[in-house]
Amino acid sequence: MSVSREEVLRIAQLAELDVEKEALPELVDNMSRIIDYVAQLSAVPANGTVKVFVPGPDAIRFRADEVTPAHLAFGPAEFAPDFKEGFFVVPKLGQFE
Amino acid sequence: MSDAKAVADRLVKAKRLNALLTPPKDLRKSLAIQEAAARPTGVLYGMPVAVKDNICTLEFTTTCGSRILEGYRSPYEATAVAKLKTAGALIAGKTNCDEFAMGSSTEHSAYGRVLHPLDKARVPGGSSGGSAALVAAGAVPAALGSETGGSVRQPAAFCGVVGIKPTYGRVSRYGLVAFGSSLDQIGVFGRSVHDAARVLSVISGRDPRDSTCEDRDPLRLPTVPESLQGFVIGLPKEYFPPELDPAVRRACDRAVRLMKELGAAVREVSLPHTPYAVPTYYVIAPAEASSNLARYDCVRYGPRFDGRVDLRGLYRSTRGQGFGPEVRRRILVGTYVLSAGYYDAYYKRAQQMRALIAQDFRNAFDRGVDLLFTPTVPSPAFKAGEKLSDPIAMYMSDIFTVTANLAGLPAMSLPIGRIKGLPLGGQLVGQAFLEDEMIEAAYALERVVPATDEA
Repeated sequence: MSVSREEVLRIAQLAELDVEKEALPELVDNMSRIIDYVAQLSAVPANGTVKVFVPGPDAIRFRADEVTPAHLAFGPAEFAPDFKEGFFVVPKLGQFE
Repeated sequence: MSDAKAVADRLVKAKRLNALLTPPKDLRKSLAIQEAAARPTGVLYGMPVAVKDNICTLEFTTTCGSRILEGYRSPYEATAVAKLKTAGALIAGKTNCDEFAMGSSTEHSAYGRVLHPLDKARVPGGSSGGSAALVAAGAVPAALGSETGGSVRQPAAFCGVVGIKPTYGRVSRYGLVAFGSSLDQIGVFGRSVHDAARVLSVISGRDPRDSTCEDRDPLRLPTVPESLQGFVIGLPKEYFPPELDPAVRRACDRAVRLMKELGAAVREVSLPHTPYAVPTYYVIAPAEASSNLARYDCVRYGPRFDGRVDLRGLYRSTRGQGFGPEVRRRILVGTYVLSAGYYDAYYKRAQQMRALIAQDFRNAFDRGVDLLFTPTVPSPAFKAGEKLSDPIAMYMSDIFTVTANLAGLPAMSLPIGRIKGLPLGGQLVGQAFLEDEMIEAAYALERVVPATDEA
């Protein structure tokens, strides 16, 4: 296994995802296979001079620096899970490690 | 011109495919309202176009095939959808897809798999499998899908319809739910090249709301050519490996022979970095996905699956339960390849490889080739469940399609024959923003290729 159980749990924490205990062995196995598979890229000689390719327009067009209305058909009170007096309501912060 | 009731009836008749996520009642009600409001002068007046469920619409919910957006109604609509409506088209419901467009079989939808219209034991391909299946079943003449690594062309090939992925920047991504932002493009399905092309021409063109959309006029449709005289078609040898399914090879050989008979010059070319395309894609796409999907925090939209008291616990439990297994896997792989200690070995290396893959195409086109022709997928539609337990086998289904996304090029699939009744697709890859040439060649090939004959 190229990716350990502990690594998967650490990455899941970074990604803010709960992983159920029962799903963990399969996830470790799948991730190891995927990482082993993409690792063939490191067999290609590194060439630091290759310019990164970005599709799309060569130059980003800047918009005028002004406030434009969003034209929403309805407001956040209708699509947020909990919204009160102009604020999204969340549980208390708790312990951030 | 078809009336709203007939449109709805045809869609409801195709219900057994599980291709449409919109409930019949909502569909009928909305179609009647849309019909009354549609502009009779529009170039697509009365044409029903189904829309993949990761493209925002005001008429229907936008769930991306995920539980984490169950019941979500977008307060705005995608530019592509707005343009369709301006042209008089009817938005004919939302189509089932792999969750957040991550998959190649439409088995990774939280709302059940889509059945292949010709063989219910098989998959329609993915991730835009619902759109492809509805067009193939004759329920709609055209549909929108989205592409990150082949999610329009691969299901188009499996279902025997036409699928076009435009050049990156040809169509606005505003309102397309982001997966891999440097790869994503909205694409179109059609019963014929013309149906797909005219929808593409309507949705293309500049959009001040998407800075990655090029400042260009909408695509102009070419006329159907008499011949392919003057066209140089390249056959990349890496796309015809010795282990290629013999039926796929026969169908391609036949299509190539027909293009030659129409006057095209055909020559072999090489895209040497092709073997690295799938691993490159499966680093870059998950990396971008892990970042894009960080927005699903169950605070601003979507349901909550909580039961815990603090904010971080709420994030983790909702995201853990709201995302399905393939999306979780890709978020984790993406987070892994971007994390300290692995970034250089995976992400940076993949970025370099992407540049080399794009350069391969430029080299081929610089040597006088106008278009490339390849199989779209190495095999016909596979059986449901066949590749579910092996993510790598599922990823290999994209081997001939991911390169066009990595290089930002236009590409399309059209039916070129069948094997044991199952459709096979041929792929044309064009030069950036030369969709018109690609569509011209497709028009010519479509007229002569025996698309429903055994290869």
